Amino acid sequence: MDRWYQKTGPQGDVVISTRIRFARNLNDFPFPCKLNPNKKTEVVNLVNGALGALNKDEKIRGLGLRFIDVGELSKSERISLVERHLISPKFIEKTGGRGLISSQDETVSVMINEEDHIRLQVIKEGLNFDESYPLADLIDDILDKKLSFAFDEKLGYLTQCPTNLGTGMRASVMLHLPALRESGKMAQIASSISKLGLVIRGLYGEGSEPKADLYQLSNQVTLGFSEKASIKNLEDIAMQLIMQERSARSEIVKHIEIVDLIHRSYGVLANARLVSESEFMKLISNVRLGVATGEIKNIPLDLIDSLIINVQPAMLEIREGKNLSATHREQLRADLIRQSLTTKNS
Amino acid sequence: MLCQSCGENMANTHIKRVINGEVKEYMLCEECAKKMGYGKLWSDFSLDFDNFLGSFFTENIPHRLSYDTLRCKNCGSSFEDISNTGKVGCAKCYTVFYDQLVPSIKRIHGNTKHVGKMAANVGKEKKVENELQDLNIQLKKAIEKQEFEKAAELRDRIKELSKGAES
Repeated sequence: MDRWYQKTGPQGDVVISTRIRFARNLNDFPFPCKLNPNKKTEVVNLVNGALGALNKDEKIRGLGLRFIDVGELSKSERISLVERHLISPKFIEKTGGRGLISSQDETVSVMINEEDHIRLQVIKEGLNFDESYPLADLIDDILDKKLSFAFDEKLGYLTQCPTNLGTGMRASVMLHLPALRESGKMAQIASSISKLGLVIRGLYGEGSEPKADLYQLSNQVTLGFSEKASIKNLEDIAMQLIMQERSARSEIVKHIEIVDLIHRSYGVLANARLVSESEFMKLISNVRLGVATGEIKNIPLDLIDSLIINVQPAMLEIREGKNLSATHREQLRADLIRQSLTTKNS
Repeated sequence: MLCQSCGENMANTHIKRVINGEVKEYMLCEECAKKMGYGKLWSDFSLDFDNFLGSFFTENIPHRLSYDTLRCKNCGSSFEDISNTGKVGCAKCYTVFYDQLVPSIKRIHGNTKHVGKMAANVGKEKKVENELQDLNIQLKKAIEKQEFEKAAELRDRIKELSKGAES
């Protein structure tokens, strides 16, 4: 079964993926920060016990939801879950008293005992709230019926950190914005976006120029706005960013310096024998820009997007089945990139 | 011990930060500490964004020491525990420490009243009331944006729901 990152979705030239995340807690247990290991295991078992009810629903059955004991995974396997955006880095800082439910295609994941008892996530390729929200909503309803969530009429869903009170929902869109970054407008955009109750930040790494020009746009406020209103707002702003990015792209590809950069980046990736992660992230952004603008032909966008995930360090280690030295990793990365770029291109 | 930032000068400043309950400690030299906004002169004006949340709570404690008497019976947290860690202990804490927490909540969200989806165990009447509130907000926005077709649709739904609520 194809995973979400192996496919391109709506507005795929700019949007990599859409994500919905709900923070939920069980009524009868203190929040994870106040749970001893035994109680944590109890919570894991209760949530795991709701799997049966989930898989009874005909819309959910096909997803093949299953329980994963994070403690039994190797370190690379755990980190690779982060690289595939299935879990948060925080979730694997400790492994005791935690559990994970995930679907075969990795669109659905439920982290048990991260910051809250339940962190439900649905992720879809492209700009796609029309499918991701209803699915998250449905899974949430079924879990609520089985587990009874902590809720207050005034404050909404109760969460360990007050920043998530209310809907407990964080909706986000992962965007590729090389042209807007090139235009030097990102700081200005970020500041005007923050006035609209949203936040935009680099997906990989800190600072003003995130790796691979990948940004995450998400809602900041969860109390006082309904899920639908928040999503509508986020979608509207995302669409504006998409239009701006497209027009900026059509401008910058008129310059020979940019066209040169695109083809030069492709040339390096298609031929290099050692590629570090940071070099890859920089060059693949240029290549993705080239593919999206038609400057580079015969390479599908989904190939680029799955490559971005597949060449992450732990993903490479899993592929190879062992720990790798830095040089060996760069070599394997280069091999994988060369293979994918040149096979499809011929 | 050498400074953990530059690795050159002797460390003489101990920084302990609690962000969302995670304790991080650093040993820095005076120069690096200053660069990161921990200089003595600037300690009150630190622009470190991570610190914002922690201070959200502590700023609301008028007399820091007098608060530790009240504890949540369900999980044992005091308000001081919550403000020190940035973590609320359990669902009951939100009732016990409601008055202390509300100013922070208002500062984070700008609101203190939930709108949107409700848990299964909430009464039907409340759910209708909540949905009406949401629809009215949407209606106001649609009118502001002059989306009249959408406004008409919303108005119909509001009418329908209000009828259902009365009967």
